[in-house]
Amino acid sequence: MEKSCTLLIHFDKGTPAIANEIKEALEGNDVPAKIDAMKKAVMLLLNGETLPQLFITIVRYVLPSEDHTVQKLLLLYLEITEKTDLKGRILPEMILICQNLRNNLQHPNEYIRGVTLRFLCRLNETEIIELLFPSVLQNLEHRHPFIRRNAILAVMSIYKLPQGEQLLVDAPETIEKVLSTEQDPSAKRNAFLMLFNCAHDRAINYLLTHVDRVSEWGELLQMVVLELIRKVCRTNHGEKGKYIKIIISLLNAPSTAVIYECAGTLVSLSSAPTAIRAAANTYCQLLLSQSDNNVKLIVLDRLNELKSSHRDIMVDLIMDVLRALSSPNLDIQRKTLDIVLELVTPRNINEVVLLLKKEVMKTQSGELEKNGEYRQMLIQAIHSCAIKFPEVASTVVHLMMDFLGDSNVASAIDVIVFVREIIETNPKLRVSIITRLLDTFYQIRAARVCSCALWIIGEYCLSPSEVESGIATIKQCLGELPFYSVSEEAEATDASKKTPQSNSITISSRRPAILADGTYATQSAASETAFSPPTIVQGSLTSGNLRSLLLTGDFFLTAVVACTLTKLVLRLEEVQPSKVEVNRATTQALLIFVSMLQLGQSPVLPHPIDNDSCDRIVLCIRLLCNTGDEIRKIWLQSCRQSFVKMLSEKQLQETEELKAKAQVSHAQPDDLIDFYHLKSRKGMSQLELEDEVQDDLKRATGEFVKDADDANKLNRILQLTGFSDPVYAEAYVTIHHYDIVLDITVINRTRETLQNLCLELATMGDLKLVERPQNYTLAPESSKQIKANIKVSSTETGVIFGNIVYETSNVLERTVVVLNDIHIDIMDYISPAVCTDTAFRTMWAEFEWENKVAVNTVIKNEKEFLDHIIKSTNMKCLTAPSALDGECGFLAANLYAKSVFGEDALVNVSIEKQADGKLSGYIRIRSKTQGIALSLGDKITLKQKGGS
Amino acid sequence: MRGEEGNLPEDGGWRMEDGMSKQREAGRLGKSLTIFGLRLLVTPKLVFLLKYKSSYGFSSRTRPRSQRTDLQREEYTHKYKQIRSRFSDKVVLAASVLSKSGKVLVSRQFVDMTRIRIEGLLAAFPKLVGTGKQHTYVETENVRYVYQPIEALYLLLVTNKQSNILEDLETLRLLSKLVPEYCYSLDEEGICKTAFELIFAFDEVICLGHKENVTVAQVKQYCEMESHEEKLHKLVLQSKINETKDVMKRKASEIDKSKIDKNKGDKGGFMSMGSGRIESSFSDISISSSGSGFGSSSGLGLTTDVDSFSTKSKGRQLSSATAPPKGLGMQLGKSQKTNQFLESLKAEGELIVEDVQPRAGQARVAAAAPTDPITLTAEEKLNVTLKRDGGISNFDVQGTLSLQILNQEDALIQVQIETGGNPGILFKTHPNMNKELFSNENILGLKDPNRPFPTGSAGDAAGVGLLKWRMQSADESMVPLTINCWPSVSGNETYVSIEYEASAMFDLRNVVIYVPLPALREAPNVRQIDGEWRYDSRNSVLEWSILLIDNSNRSGSMEFVVPPADSSVFFPISVRFSATSTYSDLKVVNIIPLRGGGAAPPKFSQRTNLITENYQVV
Repeated sequence: MEKSCTLLIHFDKGTPAIANEIKEALEGNDVPAKIDAMKKAVMLLLNGETLPQLFITIVRYVLPSEDHTVQKLLLLYLEITEKTDLKGRILPEMILICQNLRNNLQHPNEYIRGVTLRFLCRLNETEIIELLFPSVLQNLEHRHPFIRRNAILAVMSIYKLPQGEQLLVDAPETIEKVLSTEQDPSAKRNAFLMLFNCAHDRAINYLLTHVDRVSEWGELLQMVVLELIRKVCRTNHGEKGKYIKIIISLLNAPSTAVIYECAGTLVSLSSAPTAIRAAANTYCQLLLSQSDNNVKLIVLDRLNELKSSHRDIMVDLIMDVLRALSSPNLDIQRKTLDIVLELVTPRNINEVVLLLKKEVMKTQSGELEKNGEYRQMLIQAIHSCAIKFPEVASTVVHLMMDFLGDSNVASAIDVIVFVREIIETNPKLRVSIITRLLDTFYQIRAARVCSCALWIIGEYCLSPSEVESGIATIKQCLGELPFYSVSEEAEATDASKKTPQSNSITISSRRPAILADGTYATQSAASETAFSPPTIVQGSLTSGNLRSLLLTGDFFLTAVVACTLTKLVLRLEEVQPSKVEVNRATTQALLIFVSMLQLGQSPVLPHPIDNDSCDRIVLCIRLLCNTGDEIRKIWLQSCRQSFVKMLSEKQLQETEELKAKAQVSHAQPDDLIDFYHLKSRKGMSQLELEDEVQDDLKRATGEFVKDADDANKLNRILQLTGFSDPVYAEAYVTIHHYDIVLDITVINRTRETLQNLCLELATMGDLKLVERPQNYTLAPESSKQIKANIKVSSTETGVIFGNIVYETSNVLERTVVVLNDIHIDIMDYISPAVCTDTAFRTMWAEFEWENKVAVNTVIKNEKEFLDHIIKSTNMKCLTAPSALDGECGFLAANLYAKSVFGEDALVNVSIEKQADGKLSGYIRIRSKTQGIALSLGDKITLKQKGGS
Repeated sequence: MRGEEGNLPEDGGWRMEDGMSKQREAGRLGKSLTIFGLRLLVTPKLVFLLKYKSSYGFSSRTRPRSQRTDLQREEYTHKYKQIRSRFSDKVVLAASVLSKSGKVLVSRQFVDMTRIRIEGLLAAFPKLVGTGKQHTYVETENVRYVYQPIEALYLLLVTNKQSNILEDLETLRLLSKLVPEYCYSLDEEGICKTAFELIFAFDEVICLGHKENVTVAQVKQYCEMESHEEKLHKLVLQSKINETKDVMKRKASEIDKSKIDKNKGDKGGFMSMGSGRIESSFSDISISSSGSGFGSSSGLGLTTDVDSFSTKSKGRQLSSATAPPKGLGMQLGKSQKTNQFLESLKAEGELIVEDVQPRAGQARVAAAAPTDPITLTAEEKLNVTLKRDGGISNFDVQGTLSLQILNQEDALIQVQIETGGNPGILFKTHPNMNKELFSNENILGLKDPNRPFPTGSAGDAAGVGLLKWRMQSADESMVPLTINCWPSVSGNETYVSIEYEASAMFDLRNVVIYVPLPALREAPNVRQIDGEWRYDSRNSVLEWSILLIDNSNRSGSMEFVVPPADSSVFFPISVRFSATSTYSDLKVVNIIPLRGGGAAPPKFSQRTNLITENYQVV
């Protein structure tokens, strides 16, 4: 069993203290030097030095010191020094300290007594303690509360030791007496805690006899009372009734900590609606009354837990929870909205949406810097409400459309995406949305919002009047033609010479962005600012933002405009009986297209039109000149169909996730079965089913280790030496969260005794050996299990090297057997994870480390290659499977994983099938730290070949 | 058991072990009073337990240790482990201070957890804490971190997730107020410097993972440990000592007188000598009256009272272990008992005197803390640098004579010394000394005869410097120890042979010769050695130690083998030793009291010490 560690101090290895110096200082009479030397000794000890010779020096020269600090440091030294030998027996010299401890326990200075008693709490060696306990017991009656406080705790610790009950048979009785007379709140708490831990019945007895005064007790004591109640009820469900009353009375305690604890206890004790409601109400009160963000967030967590177990009760409290939105903290607002969104029902949806709308309005007036983000959050909340309950969509969609022109691009995009979804799922609203959209179109400032809006106009303008006003709106926004006049060309060339600087800026700020499907697209950073070269013909004021966007050189938007116009004209052909009108519209559209192309090729713009957009506009021109049914069908129907398909897929995915979630909570093979005729599980409290709290502490201290299945264990065995080596060694590697445990079996294959056999390990990478190796003696043909702990602090491929060194009796030389290297695989540390597209893209832009691996594989199929990469890197593919369907010769996908240390690993795979059937392309890995990018790159390079 | 007390060793821990092994041999329950070499205070309950609970495997003492199998041990530890962590389920696991870069500066754990676990938790924290958040807690699967940034640091509480956040925040707030109280500068360096003070303060706030109800002022008070009771106790003790001393003096002078009366006319020469001896032994008693003397002789069971006051010397500690089984005898300040104690002391004054003749063993232990009223220490420090091919590059002896006086009464004195007459040595007196007196009569006294020497308690190490001297020489014969080191490469190995030669001037004690080695995996192969060797692998130094160099071994050698290395690696060789005679041969002949012509000169003790400060062969 590993030793527990009670303190850590940073130790600067640059100035190693020499044991001799310490010894000298300890032997001297200079108190400050002594203190210094003691500190050094403690630090050395913490650092793994054993300093066996120092102990006697300390016993001789430090023990008698009268200085208080020296005595306290001595206690620390004793606390961490090894008190037992390898077999767990107490070292004989430890007896030497007993006298000093006993003197300290009778020291006239009350603080020396106190700290010594506290030290005893941490002492596990019964052999030492049993010499001291008469003195400990004396201290229980000391005048000074500081001593009593610690004495009680010491008694508790001693009693809890193995055999402690026999050492202090009447300890509970004594403590009970102490409790009845004790006045100091801390000491009283400790006494009660002692009874609670050591003699349940006495604690309960005390509690029940003083039940009327519980509410007057100190805060600390009340907390222990609550814990006691929780524990008692766990073992003895029948008595729940007695205690609920106490809890209810404590709900009105002056201390908020007690109130919080009460609510928690109440929830764990009972699942009766009244109790849960009381607890939830308490939480809501705390939520409003506490100004500390931490408290609010944690209370929200508690509410969230309540929500999942007692949804029906929480539904009633939805408005109380929503009041937390008044906090200016985004995290709190987000958490609140998350809880609320799962609580909306048809009954309260109107109220909720009303409040959300109010909040949205508030964000318009306020000048808080985080308003934009908050608004975005609210819009998303309203969005999901509207999807769930389509009837509210009508009440919100118009309000939302006011934000299309919002300067915060993200929230404007959210709005337009919301509108796009609503207009498809809610056909009733189509007409009003279209009218509204056409009215507000000129306000839209961002190119991405604009292109989305144009798509909606192109798809959903159905009636002749709508189509016509759609065309008119776009035309108006484009302004007068041409965008660029030849007469000004001379001037323009001058101007372009004058502004080379701005050109270079625009070019330099261009950088690739990934689209949602994982492909790279060129994005001009300047396009979102209202930048326009001065010589270009400015439209009239009414033309709005679209024109200025085009004039900045956003040719992608130009192409979108062209497509939208083409769609509208094609639709006009269908719905407009008058051929003249149609022809006029066609020619106007063609004129616009031509002017766009002309603009694209003019020298005034910073860069000429790109081929994609140019081709697209030319395609539109050709289409309008020469229409056909086939083409018309594609343009007018297939586009929309694919959108519908995308929506339905998204919905399907959501419901599947929901189903998966629901399944987890239901179908456990070892679940209790409810019998209708018997007491149902619902009546039982959480506590009776499991004791979460207790396990929680164990998990926190790392005591809980899941038993891995043995079959997997065998896969992890590594042979470290050869069969013919005199020492055979093999290791079984277990990888825990932050540490690696090597279980090494060493077998002596010779007929000699190996002495001082030592396993020496060294590490490379972000690994650190925890303990120094020990020496063993190995009898002929016997084996030994050696454990080594290695600490890991980040995800990186590490290597562990090692030697086994030993001596034999007849050869004086030490023999060295070099071990095979143990490679720690990065795959053990990363696990597939999911994040949203936007999160992925922001991380991609932020992260500094990129590793680009060229594809080099024997695999011929793109999809197969992607699967191979996913499998070998243990990552999750974020790109939807439907997007990867089909055979088009190229493929782009995003992969994502998270390490146990919370680091993100992003991978983008872009491959193309060459004419000769081979795959080519790149795999890019990005991460915040170098380690991941490098190791993952190595891994991919190693594995990508495929074939086997 | 009182009968055995006489045999009890009076000095440090070493003999205790003897007692221990004796006990093992005896191995009988009945003798449990001297178990492990210590006299135990055995309460009736313990006896009861020893007798009746043995069947539960209660203690190793009831059965031979070997009978307790490892399996049982494991069982115990397992049980213990389970219980210990269940004191309570909602606790603070640790309080720590980290630098912003994630370096753990100080951490105090309040529940049992392994080092790897806590280091893992603390290492994960900097990665989890994000920037720009408006809350200061992070939750992981298993634990919750509640933190507070303080300038370039994080103050951090690690709790389990069920822990009460409101309480934890309050604890954190308190700690954040405490940290600046103890650290001058809130950065890495400041924290490292005051790490222990912080740990002590943390301990006052959180106890076994539970919050204590304390304020900043209270914590400071607790950590300062200023105890009124202790002061009171010390006063009482001091007055008692003084009182006893008065009684002693009176008695002594009575005895003196009677002896003078007896010896009158017999041998005048003996008179002063005899009285001197008795006088000195009396003053010795008066000092050690808080010490070991009474334990062995008092038949009144008062030993415990005295013992519990004593914290000074090792020897006394032991005797306090001989306390008779009085159970509650340790209570302090019971005035009645004190009176009784004093009275009995008065009654038995002479008897005590007989018993407390200073013993050799005691003197040895007491060397660290002087118990004589006046102590004179002559110390010479050697600074020597020898060349590796012979010759001296530096030889420097610096000496001091310091005086330490325990009690104010003895402070008006002069010191007469005698020097060896070494012409190379120049003496320099303290500016306050009467120079003429010294140059004419070799007497050290203050310029102002009415001023006493400064006095100091036994705790002060140095005392007052009276005299300094210095000697430099280029004469090789003056060097007490020469060292010859011959590294030679032969094939795949380097043979190093070292020899030492000590001059006949001194007997050197505790000689340690440090030979630096190239970085080696294993200890060097020592072929031959006079004395003992040890290999310090961390500093890769071979330590050759010889306990005593006297006429029997004025020269010695050692030979070892290491993998091939450059010969310069083995230098500089540094040496440490001590000796009890000095170059100056300075001796204190007499102490002349200036006041009260009748009183005999106070007893003094004299120490002479030659130590090495820097002794190297380069």
